[in-house]
Amino acid sequence: MESAVTPRAWLVLYLAAVVAITFIHSPGVLAALLLIAIAASARLRWKLLRRALLAILAYNLALSAGYAGLALWQGNFVADYLLLVNLRVLLLAYIGFWFVAAVDLLGALSGWPLATLLATLCIGQIKTFERILRDFRLAFASRNLVRPTLTDRSRHAAAQAQTLLDKSLASAGEAALAMRSRGAFDD
Amino acid sequence: MHIPDGFLSPQTYLPAYAVAVGAWSWAARGLRQSLDETTVPRLAMLTALAYGMGLVMLPIPGGTSGHALGVAMLALIFGVRSAFVAYSLVLLLQSLLFGAGGITALAINALALGLAGAATAVAARHLLRGFGDTLSVAVAAWLSVVVPGIIVAVALGIQPLIAHRDDGTPLFFPFGLDISLPAIVLPHMLIGVGEAVLTVLVWRYAKARKWSLR
Repeated sequence: MESAVTPRAWLVLYLAAVVAITFIHSPGVLAALLLIAIAASARLRWKLLRRALLAILAYNLALSAGYAGLALWQGNFVADYLLLVNLRVLLLAYIGFWFVAAVDLLGALSGWPLATLLATLCIGQIKTFERILRDFRLAFASRNLVRPTLTDRSRHAAAQAQTLLDKSLASAGEAALAMRSRGAFDD
Repeated sequence: MHIPDGFLSPQTYLPAYAVAVGAWSWAARGLRQSLDETTVPRLAMLTALAYGMGLVMLPIPGGTSGHALGVAMLALIFGVRSAFVAYSLVLLLQSLLFGAGGITALAINALALGLAGAATAVAARHLLRGFGDTLSVAVAAWLSVVVPGIIVAVALGIQPLIAHRDDGTPLFFPFGLDISLPAIVLPHMLIGVGEAVLTVLVWRYAKARKWSLR
């Protein structure tokens, strides 16, 4: 998707594709579209397919098993339905991950300043959370040569939660001050 | 309790988007007025926390997934409008980055979890204020999970009625209200207890740091 088309235009195209897919009720057409998307996404294809399958696996397995069990018991099982719904969900997940992998999300939101502001801050916070959690996990593992007790783990979790919130607040505070100095809250 | 992509018919999600766009516009106006260098870091922190809480989820066979929301803590600290915008962003990021929820379901999810959840929490806290902080915040948080659960169950449960083939085979979500309501609402009555505990803990954290609370 790296081309002259702007991130915002890709966003519009992606949204149009999502809506169009929900109007298609033929498993054959959905399967063909999925194959086209897989072929078109070139070197990203296996990574995207794996991510999409993992994202939908638990939910779709639970729902498909629930439907199959109930429909077989009631005598109105339709295999075509299972194919239709699973292909549709997989295709939607696949193109969603493809869009995120290929298009700058913040660039796509650039027409909406408030959304960009919040998304930037939120993504920054998520990264802060990830880093703190990783640091705590590694530090805790290095301090415990034997398996820690439940009390130790509870104490660790409480300390981690407190630090997580304090550090996150401090980090977002710095970002907000930087934004203030650039006039982000002036209008 | 997100509804995933692909289980709502266009007859459901397109009108929901029309309603949600109006609600987002109303909420964004309120949020803009309240943003400053004090509120922005707090909102960013709790939005990211809500995002993390929502990612620990279990599939529920009756139509959705079970997880804590974090919308009550947003609503009780920042108000309904800010909570709705922030939670909508959480849902958007979860759907794009993890495939949890989805673009077609975003409007219904945002209206149910973000708007109805936040409004319920604030209303319940207001009504129960006389019973003390802990009880009123806990009940508000519990209701902020159960009420959206009912809305999500109804939105899914009506799909077989409004989107099916001539022979009655469903085209989107396959189960009716008789299954979706108990399957979604009952687990969320339990999840609501965990949400209440988490919300009370965050509330106490905020109170200890002298944030202005509602």
